[in-house]
Amino acid sequence: MTWRRICAPDSIAERQLKKFEIDGIPVVVANYGGGFRAFPPLCPHMEEPLEQSGIIEGRTLTCTKHLWQWDLEAREITGSETEKSLFFYEVKQEDGALFAFIEQEHRYEFEDEDDMDDDAFFSQ
Amino acid sequence: MTEEPTAGPDGLARVTLQSKSGVFEYACLPGETLLAAGLRQGITLPYECATGTCGTCRGRIMQGEAIMAWDKAPGAVKLNLEKGDRLLCQTVAKTDVVVRVPSAAVQGAFPKGIVPRHLTGVLRQSRRLTHDVVQFSVELDQPVDFDAGQFMTLEQPQVRGLRAYSMTSYARRTRRLDFLVKRLPGGGFSDWLFSSEIDGAELKLFGPLGRATFDPAEDRDIVCIGGGSGIAGMMAILDHACQESYFADHRGWLFFGVRTLADCFFLDRLSYLAQRAGDNLCITLALSHADPGTRTHPDHPALRLDTGFVHEAASRGMQGKFAGVIGFVAGPPPMVDGALRMLITEGKLPAADIRYDKFA
Repeated sequence: MTWRRICAPDSIAERQLKKFEIDGIPVVVANYGGGFRAFPPLCPHMEEPLEQSGIIEGRTLTCTKHLWQWDLEAREITGSETEKSLFFYEVKQEDGALFAFIEQEHRYEFEDEDDMDDDAFFSQ
Repeated sequence: MTEEPTAGPDGLARVTLQSKSGVFEYACLPGETLLAAGLRQGITLPYECATGTCGTCRGRIMQGEAIMAWDKAPGAVKLNLEKGDRLLCQTVAKTDVVVRVPSAAVQGAFPKGIVPRHLTGVLRQSRRLTHDVVQFSVELDQPVDFDAGQFMTLEQPQVRGLRAYSMTSYARRTRRLDFLVKRLPGGGFSDWLFSSEIDGAELKLFGPLGRATFDPAEDRDIVCIGGGSGIAGMMAILDHACQESYFADHRGWLFFGVRTLADCFFLDRLSYLAQRAGDNLCITLALSHADPGTRTHPDHPALRLDTGFVHEAASRGMQGKFAGVIGFVAGPPPMVDGALRMLITEGKLPAADIRYDKFA
């Protein structure tokens, strides 16, 4: 079973970001008004803790460190400065609780090793 | 590129820069950082602070030898040093090098063709404005162009390292740049500025740098929210705007955060700007640690007073006026954070309309 219970939905206010440790896996849950989203706590840009650096306005999540933005409804990048996607865990509500589908912790590759080690790409 | 150097007798190291948008080649002068060499030769390398704190100019040395002069730079904390990752703003090539940057670079894409370069100058007319703020001018060896809101890195031979300071006034093709520095306890450069007879000292400069700039052609209302010495670049923005009579048909707001009335500076200049611009420019001093008990400055009636943090004063002063506004923000990190949050949640400003130097 990789659907993991997070919390009661009404424990996260609208426009709030809340961090949880679920079976040792850190996850941030956002209530953007149109629903809930769950994602790893660190901003994929420079590892800011999104439960602190993030703000929700409308359906947009902004990391206030460098103003990277994502559309929480569409689960897409928004804003011209944003270079990396946010990884989303699936969420569902069942039996009065909020669940996230977390098989394993998702970690971004902050070192960009895949990119930087791709000789074929850089020799173009 | 203006020269055809080779590593060897002339001492110039050749850089092969691999970016996500292609390969560029350029040469470094002796002692020149990889960032400065690339920028001055017209390549848009990624950077924000250019002084080692932000980590934006990360590159990986794939071949050759390069030394990161300030290996304790705050921006270097997360680098993978074993893989060859370095901050380009701190790194000097010792041999020919191959460098990768994890972003796109473009040749010749600097706004208005203003490419940063090396300058030398003589420090003139230093003056204490408050117990911990000093202003000074630098007389340059050659005229420069810059955009209001930009900064230069300054280096003084007796003090190690680069410091970034915004120009506080605006002029085209100018041989004189004006700066403002707030004393940082333990800051080598600011200690030097505050401790010695500094007029006449020679400085090395590099710039102009920074993208938090004002362009009258954008034809938009502007709000500037500055804390302490963060006001520096905003003075240049208002200076440029007034020179263009920008406030004849645009609105502008400046919120200047300081602790108490005694910590204010530039009041004569701000008064002059407010009077020259007329009703469309509204300047408010926000006092975080004092209640002035009056709505205007006792000696400068053109300047309004408010109490509280500067982003709170800006929020109060901007209610209902945010539509179509470009926001400029500068100051200590907590102040910048508060102002960004306010502009996004209350002002509903899109990220593209908020400009600040991402030094942290």
